[in-house]
Parts: sequence; structure tokens; C-alpha cells
Amino acid sequence: MAELLIHIIVPIAIFGFIALFTLFAVYAERKIAGFVQDRLGPMETGKYGLLQTIADILKLLQKEFITPAAADRILFALAPIVIFAAVFVGFAVMPWGPDLLPANTNTGLFFIMAVVSIDAIGILMAGWGSNNKYSLLGSIRAIAQMVSYEIPVGLSLIAAVMITQTLNLNEIAFQQGVLAQEDIFFFGFWNVTEIGGILAWNIFQAPHLIVVYVIFFIATLAECNRAPFDIPEAESELIGGFHTEYGGIRFAFVFLAEYAMMFLVTMLGAVIFLGGWNTPLPNMGALKLADWTTGPFWGIFWTLSKSLFIVGVQMWIRWTLPRFRADQLMDLCWKIMIPVAFICMAISGLWRILVMV
Amino acid sequence: MEELLFYTFAALAIVSALLVVSLKNTARALFLFFITLFALAGLFLFALADFVAITQILVYVGGVLILMIFAFMLSNKELLKDLQAISGKFVDMPNTQSILLVIGFLAVMIYGIVEWHQQTPDWITHNIKTKQIIQSTDNNIHQLGIKFMTQYILPFEVISIFLLMALIGASQLSRKEDDR
Repeated sequence: MAELLIHIIVPIAIFGFIALFTLFAVYAERKIAGFVQDRLGPMETGKYGLLQTIADILKLLQKEFITPAAADRILFALAPIVIFAAVFVGFAVMPWGPDLLPANTNTGLFFIMAVVSIDAIGILMAGWGSNNKYSLLGSIRAIAQMVSYEIPVGLSLIAAVMITQTLNLNEIAFQQGVLAQEDIFFFGFWNVTEIGGILAWNIFQAPHLIVVYVIFFIATLAECNRAPFDIPEAESELIGGFHTEYGGIRFAFVFLAEYAMMFLVTMLGAVIFLGGWNTPLPNMGALKLADWTTGPFWGIFWTLSKSLFIVGVQMWIRWTLPRFRADQLMDLCWKIMIPVAFICMAISGLWRILVMV
Repeated sequence: MEELLFYTFAALAIVSALLVVSLKNTARALFLFFITLFALAGLFLFALADFVAITQILVYVGGVLILMIFAFMLSNKELLKDLQAISGKFVDMPNTQSILLVIGFLAVMIYGIVEWHQQTPDWITHNIKTKQIIQSTDNNIHQLGIKFMTQYILPFEVISIFLLMALIGASQLSRKEDDR
């Protein structure tokens, strides 16, 4: 019975966290946009405009359900649920701290890649169900982009997994800090198992993993349909993309899914490349900073701060770079990122055989 | 609890599969196919085949199903009308053919009942005795990788060559004429 209660409380807690995160991420996004564009952003509601997004969500919650007359009612109503559920399920295997994760499975990473691909079906459902040209075009663009960019994401993850030798996200996180069972080598020559900290992170275990992380970051940006890859939602061409017809709480769910996806991929990147819940502070002689800052609460703190920092970078990029054209987008994916990812994969294999013996 | 989940998944798979073939609305049928595949993945989990279950979702839902929906959306409207104008009969065939089909199915079912033994087969009881069974805590992926690289290396290589052929064929088909 107690176990069943945990199975109910943990998802609710994660859902609550995602909702809270979305609220303040939208606020942060608007503030960052204001800063980049040299204006103030929300400032009227509450102190510094802090209550602006809460007011927004209250407005969305009390709006009427509007279904277009020509829409496919069932698909239209189900699509936001499928889109959100696909992303939400991904959080089931994410580690927040040492042995602190909802489901410790051997297939964690593979599981996330599979459930994220369900997201595409939800977007197609929304586009088709709305029975609107702009929605359909937006969803087709979104799928073409997501399916293409799944390949560099997959390849970069494979390149990292060839070094870690496990798909279990908990073990991957354990391998990158002072709690590791095996020896960790900084760039393959300096044993840093006792030192830990930033030196033990996966991106520093092999030099090419830095390139792999850059590929992963760009490709996941496209997976989330974020600028500069936001042609599925291009306001100037498509009104709003696949969610044009949605309003009220259904729109809120589509929005929630987008921000949850952002957090999911940044957290995944943090766990696989940036040490997960491990501290960036190394042990230096008598100053055992890494040992002092490792533990369940520190774990949650580091996971959150790393993920939120990268979410911040995503927002910064969104308001700095102009949007790609559709053919440039595909060129970047198929002609640059996939070949480079393949080369990195080959280097990973050689690195594992020749250096990490 | 687990039995309940198993029967829910099984019922979901059967009912949605039946609906997929009987629905008039092709778009809805395709989206319903997703539920069939998902329920099948759930059933694979009960066989302790977690890797197969996830591959099922990744390949069929993330790849094949999306391609099917794309093909449906981009195909000719007249062609789709032909597809949707199927008569409502359960078996839409001439009588002689349907009789053959029915007899065939009946033969398969009778053969199954005749050949079915009540007790578990010998090889299963033997394996249980010698403890050669998978536990739910085992690392299946590790075993799978070793098997792929040793016992099943030839099928594995053949599949990769086959996929490479498909890739080259696809890029050849989508090439512009003047690029030659």
C-alpha cells in the first residue's frame, strides 16, 4: 500500500514541478526577451511582473472549450493529452540525485528516445484533427523536422553510450563523480576518480564528447521546435502552427508540453554529458569540496541548477538568432550534423578500444 | 494487479486492432493503430522483453506509423475515396473464396486444439529445473549485445547491409534528374 502511494505521489510531485517550472520559465523567457530587445517585459502584475504568468494561466483555465465545427472531435480533443503525456512519461527515468529516481531501469535512455518520438504522433493528431490548412502545414513541418533531428540526437547519444557502456541513466550519472565504481580518466590520461568535480564529467572523459554535446544541444533545440528552429510555429507564415485552433486549457497543455520537453532534454543532456547530479567542485587536497557537496539534496540542487542554466541558454539563443529557412534546416541536419555525429561515433569506438582499456 | 494490467493491454490490443480494420475513417484508423502498437509493447513487457517493447515503440510508432500517416496525407483524394468506399459486409469476397477462407481458418483452429497439450512442454520444465530463466532484474541489454556480436552475428550483419541498401535506394529515388 505504501508503495502504491509513492507511485501516486511521485508523478504528482513531478507534474507540480513541471507546472511551476513552466509558469516561471515563461516569465523568465519574457524577461530575457525584454532584456535582449532592450525593453522591460512584464512589469505591471505583482512586483517586477512576477504574477504575470499566474494571471495568464488563470485566464486560460476559465476559457471556454472551443472545437471548430469541421474538426475531427476525438482527435482534436486527444491530441494535447498525447503530446503532454509523451513528454511527461520521459521524466519517469530521469535521475534527480544518487539513486533518487522514479524508475531505475536498464533501458532508461532508450526509453526516453522512444517516448519522445510519440510526441510526433500527438502533433500530427493536432494538425490533422484541427482541419485547418495552417495547422496541417505546421504539423507536417514539425514532423519532418522532428524525424530528421531525431537522427543526430540518437547518434550523439550512441556516441556517449559507447563511452559509458550502459543505458541506465542512474549508472551513467554515478560514473561521473566521486561515487564512481570504476576509474575515471580526464581526457584518457589523468586519473580523477578521487578528485571528481567538473573534471570527471563525461564531456571531459574524451575530447570528442564536447563536439557530441554541441550536436546534441543543437539537435534537441530543433526537437523542441524552439527558435532558431521554430518554423513549425512560424507566426509570420503559419499563424501559429499546429496549435492554431487550440484555446483555453488545451492550449495550456500544448504549451506545458513544450516547456516540459525543454526541461527534459536539458536534463537529459546534463545527466549524460554534464555529470547529472554530480558537483562541479573538485576535491583539492584537504579541501574536499566534491565530497562535501555530494548527497541527495545537493544532487537535486545541482541537477536543477545545471538544467535551468541550459534552459536559460536556450532562451538566450531564441531571442538572439533569426529563424532558419526550411531547406537550410534540413541541410544543417543531413549534411553537417549527421556526418559529424557519425565521425564522433567512430571515434568513440576507437577511444573505447584503444584508450580506455 | 499485474494480471489486471495484462488483460487490459490484451483487450486494448484486440479491440483497437479490430477497430483499425473496420473503421471507415482512414485517418482515425491510422491513429488508432498507435494504440494497438502501444498495447503490444505493453504485452512485450510482461514477457520481460523490455528492449523489444521499447524498440516496438521507437520503430513502429516513431517511424513506420508516422510514414503511414504521411503517405495517407500526401496521397490523392480520389484514391482515398476508392479506399473508403468499401462495403459494410464482414467478409467482402465472392462466396467460393470466402468458403475456402473459412475452411482454412477452421482447419488451423482444429489443428491447434488437437496439438495442444495441457501440461507445459518439456524444454520449459527442464529450463526451470536448471535455473536457465530470465529474472525481471536481469540486464537484458547486456545479454542481447553479447548474443548479437557472437551467436547471431550473421543475421545482424545481413540486416545492416539490407538497411544500407534501403538507404542508398531512397537517396537514389529522391535525387533530381539533372544531378547525374
